[in-house]
Amino acid sequence: MTLLLRDPTAEIAPALRPRRPALDTLVGKCVALLDIGKMRGDEFIDRLEILMNARGIVTRRYKKPTNTRTAPIEIIHDITLNCHAVVIALSDCGSCTSCSTHDLFTLDERDLPGVSVLTEEFMDAFETQRRAIGFDGAAIFVPHPMQNRSRTELESFADKFCGEILLQICVAPPKAYQA
Amino acid sequence: MIETGPDGLVIFAKKECPTCNLVQPVAQELANRGRPVIVFAQDDTSFMDGLTVEDDTSLKQSFLHNIEAVPTFIRFANGREVDRTVGWSRSAWERVAGETGLGENLPAFQPGCGSKTREPGVFEHLVARYGDPGLTSRRIEVGDWDDPVETAYERGWSDGLPVVPPTDERIFRMLGGTGRKPEEVIGRVPPNLAPCTVEKVAINAVMAGCKPEYMPIVLAALEAALEPIATLHGLLCSTCSGGPILIVNGPITRAVGMNSGINALGQGNRANATIGRALNLIVRNVGGGRPGELSRATLGGPHKYTFCFAEDESDPEWQPLAAARGLPRGTNAITFFQGDGIQAFVDQRSTTAPELTRSLGMALLAVCHPKLCEFTNALLVLSPEHHGIFRNAGWDRGRIESELHKALMRPGKDLVQGAQGVGEGIDPRRAGEMINKFWPEGLLIVRAGGKAGLFSAICGGWTGGRFRDQSQPVTKEIKS
Repeated sequence: MTLLLRDPTAEIAPALRPRRPALDTLVGKCVALLDIGKMRGDEFIDRLEILMNARGIVTRRYKKPTNTRTAPIEIIHDITLNCHAVVIALSDCGSCTSCSTHDLFTLDERDLPGVSVLTEEFMDAFETQRRAIGFDGAAIFVPHPMQNRSRTELESFADKFCGEILLQICVAPPKAYQA
Repeated sequence: MIETGPDGLVIFAKKECPTCNLVQPVAQELANRGRPVIVFAQDDTSFMDGLTVEDDTSLKQSFLHNIEAVPTFIRFANGREVDRTVGWSRSAWERVAGETGLGENLPAFQPGCGSKTREPGVFEHLVARYGDPGLTSRRIEVGDWDDPVETAYERGWSDGLPVVPPTDERIFRMLGGTGRKPEEVIGRVPPNLAPCTVEKVAINAVMAGCKPEYMPIVLAALEAALEPIATLHGLLCSTCSGGPILIVNGPITRAVGMNSGINALGQGNRANATIGRALNLIVRNVGGGRPGELSRATLGGPHKYTFCFAEDESDPEWQPLAAARGLPRGTNAITFFQGDGIQAFVDQRSTTAPELTRSLGMALLAVCHPKLCEFTNALLVLSPEHHGIFRNAGWDRGRIESELHKALMRPGKDLVQGAQGVGEGIDPRRAGEMINKFWPEGLLIVRAGGKAGLFSAICGGWTGGRFRDQSQPVTKEIKS
């Protein structure tokens, strides 16, 4: 049976705790790219990293040993000490949605604005987990399914959503290089 | 709707109740007369052989039918209860059943047992599950696989230590500790000046770990803290280290088991620990006073988790703090003092009252800064052995206070800014005066602690106390 608690606060604030504000700039900052360890996610992140580096954004890659658990504390510590924002990708199942939302929250508590990238099918699951934690986490949703897509298709998702992802972690991200 | 059978006769019973077993032949007799009875068993369905026994181990039907004792024999008509009796009374059972000659081999009367719905803690669970606890605070859902203690952390409800999850049954039980209505507004809690109801107090008291019997003390603590002269707003937002210190007087301290003896200012006593914590959680959660946001103490201190204790009133010659502050002796009362953690006072050599007075004076001068006088208040917690030295000299509270104030007078020339090579100090224009460390009302003395030990304690007052007419300790009567 679902446990219900009563809110001890004055209920002035919304039920969801606001997330950390996006950074003013990414200049001089480092963005953690946290691969949750789900298959095919690395192909999306590889492309995202290329796109971000092309904009002059410094990135640092991390990979969870499994998408079915929250990130090991060593990874959390490393991100906290070395990065200023985080992009978590790519969730396309229930457990990875739940675990990655907790990771997003854990890093937000350590002052890192972040965004989780999930497939559209898990919009509701993300919302449920967000509500349970009480955290107004940011998410970008890409088309579902992704496991049976070609690499080109996955890269095209990264191309399409890179700008939106960056806007979740930075108010004014650098523009893509225009030849 | 409850299944009552064609005749509407129902018995609520439990196997462990001797009277319930006693009436079994009566129920069988009714059945033999063509008056079948349905039994709702609270604990075990394997009794009342030959009768229809419904499983009510969930106690749902017992709760919904307000069963306070078993057996309870009820007759329904058209789905509505028309009569009931409790225990075994031949005449009453005959009345309810509309029969005569029931249980002729039984004694005429035998009382029943308590219903399982009324066992300790059960009723509140049933209210939460099947009834209406009358709570209006926002419901927060905990995921099926989530830990409610972690949920409280995630939502920022905790002071850093685990809190008890505020479930409806716990809150309902907590509200049973006061006669005040859940919707009553106690006041507006800073810094957000958010209205705080008795229900919100109860929720935070649950989280702090309070027992329901502490509720009157927690409510009085909040009322004292919200008096404008208590300056809670400034205290909690201050960059200084001050926080609420609560001193409780009166017989309620013994009634609820507060500690005024060994380690009175320390850990280990539930009432001391959780009453003080509840007030700080209310400030955090209702008022929004969270460290790093509007609560801006440069250093803070462990006293900001909780600091609450009882005064030892066992010495009839000692006037308790609340009595000294104007309430009749024996009144249940709480004093809200704006102060810091303790500064230990050690003196194992003084043997006379004047000697100990001078010694205490030296230590009290250190409050805030030795050169800052008439700047803040102080709380002196006098241990029984130190008090014994004064007592043996025939000094009462008034004498101790007046002698201490004399011992705390200092020449202004030694205290002014720059004097003794120290920039801090009092206004240079007072160089020619004799200055007291505290205003006459600014030194509060409390008697507490273990019987052994020539050790007392000083709690420096918050620096907001320098505005003498704007920030003062507050004493409030505790009402049930």
